[in-house]
Amino acid sequence: MKAAGHVSWGGGGQIEAAQRIAARAAEAGLPLQLHLPNLPPLAEEGEARRLARKPREENPEYEWRGDPYLQVMDPAVVCDLLRWLREQCGFVQLYDLSAVDPAADAPELWVVYGLLNLAEKVRLELRLGLNKEHLSVPSVVAVHQAADWHEREAAEMFGIVFEGHPDPRALLLPEDWDGFPLRKDYEFPDQYQGISCT
Amino acid sequence: MPGWLLTVWAAVVAMVVVFTFLTIMVMFSVWMERKVAGFIQHRVGPMRAGGFHGWAQSIADSIKLLFKEDLILIGADRKLFQIAPALVMATATAMFVVLPFAPGWQVADADLGVFLILALASVTTIGVIMAGWGSYNKWSVYGAMREAAQVASYEIPLALSLIPPILHYGTFSLATATEAQAGWGGMQWYVFSSAAPVAWLSFPLFFIAALAENKRAPFDLPEAESELVAGFHTEYTGIRFSFFFLEEYAAMFVMGAVGAALWFGGWNFPGIHLLEPGSALLQVLALFAFVAKAMALVFVMMWVRWTVPRLRIDQVMTLGYKYLTPLSMAVVLIAAFWEFGLHLIQD
Amino acid sequence: MSSSHPAAAYSRAPGREIELDVATQDCQIHMGPQHPATHGVMRVLLKADGEVLSGAQTHLGYLHRSAEKIGEMVDWLQYLPYTDRYDYLCAMNNNLGYSLGVEKLLGLEAPERAQYLRVILSELNRIASHLFAVGTYGLDLGAFTPLFTALRDREIVLDLFERICGARLTYSFIRPGGLWNDAPEGWLEDVAAFLDLFEKRWHEYWTLVVENRIFIERTADVGVLSAEQAIDWGCSGPMLRGSGVDWDLRRDQPYQVYDRLEFEVVKGSGYRGSVGDCFDRTFVRMFEMTESIRIVRQCLEQMEPGPVHNPEVKSVIRPAPGSAYCGIENPRGELGHYLVSDGSKIAVRVRVRAPSFCNLSVAEHLMPGSMLGDAAAIIGSVDIVVGETDR
Repeated sequence: MKAAGHVSWGGGGQIEAAQRIAARAAEAGLPLQLHLPNLPPLAEEGEARRLARKPREENPEYEWRGDPYLQVMDPAVVCDLLRWLREQCGFVQLYDLSAVDPAADAPELWVVYGLLNLAEKVRLELRLGLNKEHLSVPSVVAVHQAADWHEREAAEMFGIVFEGHPDPRALLLPEDWDGFPLRKDYEFPDQYQGISCT
Repeated sequence: MPGWLLTVWAAVVAMVVVFTFLTIMVMFSVWMERKVAGFIQHRVGPMRAGGFHGWAQSIADSIKLLFKEDLILIGADRKLFQIAPALVMATATAMFVVLPFAPGWQVADADLGVFLILALASVTTIGVIMAGWGSYNKWSVYGAMREAAQVASYEIPLALSLIPPILHYGTFSLATATEAQAGWGGMQWYVFSSAAPVAWLSFPLFFIAALAENKRAPFDLPEAESELVAGFHTEYTGIRFSFFFLEEYAAMFVMGAVGAALWFGGWNFPGIHLLEPGSALLQVLALFAFVAKAMALVFVMMWVRWTVPRLRIDQVMTLGYKYLTPLSMAVVLIAAFWEFGLHLIQD
Repeated sequence: MSSSHPAAAYSRAPGREIELDVATQDCQIHMGPQHPATHGVMRVLLKADGEVLSGAQTHLGYLHRSAEKIGEMVDWLQYLPYTDRYDYLCAMNNNLGYSLGVEKLLGLEAPERAQYLRVILSELNRIASHLFAVGTYGLDLGAFTPLFTALRDREIVLDLFERICGARLTYSFIRPGGLWNDAPEGWLEDVAAFLDLFEKRWHEYWTLVVENRIFIERTADVGVLSAEQAIDWGCSGPMLRGSGVDWDLRRDQPYQVYDRLEFEVVKGSGYRGSVGDCFDRTFVRMFEMTESIRIVRQCLEQMEPGPVHNPEVKSVIRPAPGSAYCGIENPRGELGHYLVSDGSKIAVRVRVRAPSFCNLSVAEHLMPGSMLGDAAAIIGSVDIVVGETDR
């Protein structure tokens, strides 16, 4: 019988995979930057240290927990990057594509690409920062068909323009919905088409 | 009383009797269908209305249907929409006219009784097509077109599979055919007679074709609820809808009755020769035997419906044209040779 | 399609010649939002040339309840009941997926007994969900009885759930840090009894539904999804395995105690048609139920008494900053939660990667070329829950 499940379950080898891909990307000259979590498990962290954790702004050595990710430094290359990962590194499935608005006053939105390598059984998270002034990123539908609906959803929820998307209609919201609901600066409407929402 | 008045009087009485019987029989069938479905599906079916096993459920349902609003869509073809249920209902009722319920208990012993039933069954289709076309609903049109294609294809095997018993008894009249099965103490049914092998070959063909003709599962494509919502009667409400409902169960009973009359001895039952011909007891027992046999076949139709999935339209057509039609033709040939052989032996 | 002559649209089907100069047009029909075969409030715009479909377009959003936005407005623990509601047929698995994500951000684990109970509950829920899927699939194909037979056995599972957590559909029982409470006395024995009963009854479904001649005719070689297509479209679960891809998160990225359990990953083999058809997807669901029986039995054997909740998790939790993706194998496929925390008691982002959402996106591409009746068969074989596609 094996030992009890470990905190890095599901991510067994995920950090190693991220490191390996980052090294290969550096060789290939692709603009990827590796970010690794640097907090120990909760039990080892200790109460005093837990309370002393500081938010990102006050803490230059930002401490965080979770999955490692690769930051894409240039939105323009995202299609090439995904194609490279698919063809050279075996990340054949795009299991998720979404966006995150970290804060109302944050300058950037993140677009998060989740990739899965079925042969090596590892996941890879790519993160792309988009300036809120210019929310535009190339569509990756040509590389991964799975991006089709995910991009439509992210577009209507965050106002991101996925350039070159073959069918950029709204997916879940009505076509005439005002605003982008998952943005932190979204204001809830008082009425929709004359129907009160309050 | 002048002769013509007598005829009119007889016709009115016949209409009332037939219609009353039909209504009661349909109500019973609907209740039975729900009970059968419940039995097959580990449920109990209706239990409340009326007390004993929900016997009054169908009565309650019909009253509810009668009082429902009669809706006609704005874009619908009003005339077709209104005529269709009436046409369907009228043909279903008319088919009862030639059914031999008991010795002498038949509205009209038409010489071409079997023919009449086949002809009226195809008129029903016209009503269904009118309903689908007049409904102003694409799903209904699909249902109507499927009905047209399906019924037109299955009429061929249905008619052909009726030929073996007709050849055996040498008559199109259901009553005459029934009387011919009275031998052997009421057990000389076609399926037990000297032509039994042919009977057992032709009956499955007749039964499958009758299922398709009545749009019963697995051939319920015209109203396939998971594909076409409710097909041709999607837009019907209240009493008009109930006419389609009535027609379905009436047609089931008619097909069951034809099967019973031609293959299973009609009103004959074991021991019928012991009773005095024309006595009330014989009449009642004969009526009971006939209805029981017809209902037994109706039960099998229900049993099939609650067991198997629905075929796809191309599979229905394949089955009809590639399998049932050639098979029924072969059975007609076999029947012809068989009867010829019987004839030689008897001579 | 945009040819000037209307008849050109008709003649684009290969091998078809137009002899008469008749203008024809494909019929556009809306399947839904209120339609028996869409398994919820969803609309498929079908384009049909007679009975043959020439196009399909899925329209979602009728059941959109802003689950992701709600996740950014309530506490970490308060969000748990909302997870029940996206795939209401396997709420235990949804609870598990979210709880695991939060635990990953917290950097802790549930006690061992809780992990075993979680596996038992999620596998029982998988049986219930697959039963419902097979039953409603029968309904899509025009057979009513499988659904009622399935509901009969699903009812036993729901009764078990009711006894352990008081709810029959929306449990909120598996929560970050463990479980709400331990199983009541005698519950585990009743689970074992159910498994014995269901193992026998499984053959009933196999003969009534799957080995039915008409069922095979309706599903074999219909809606064939190739392995490449399935991967490319982000499919997961029975949809992916039905296409012959050997991938199951329970085995390939094990969570909880799945790495201690032995089970087979069932995949489609073209048993009655070609690999990846509607039949294979149902085939996978059928045999996953037997594997679930195996898994639960092993759990019952290996389980030991102990606590079921990690005391580190209080009523208000503040996970460390960071982001975590947690994907688990739901009955419908990979349910992923992408959680982002900034260290406060409310999440920054709760992204739900719903399996039905990704699986459904390929359905409209399987339909063209098949018959109208196949539309119901294809949608049914994807086994969607619209609550999940729209969230």
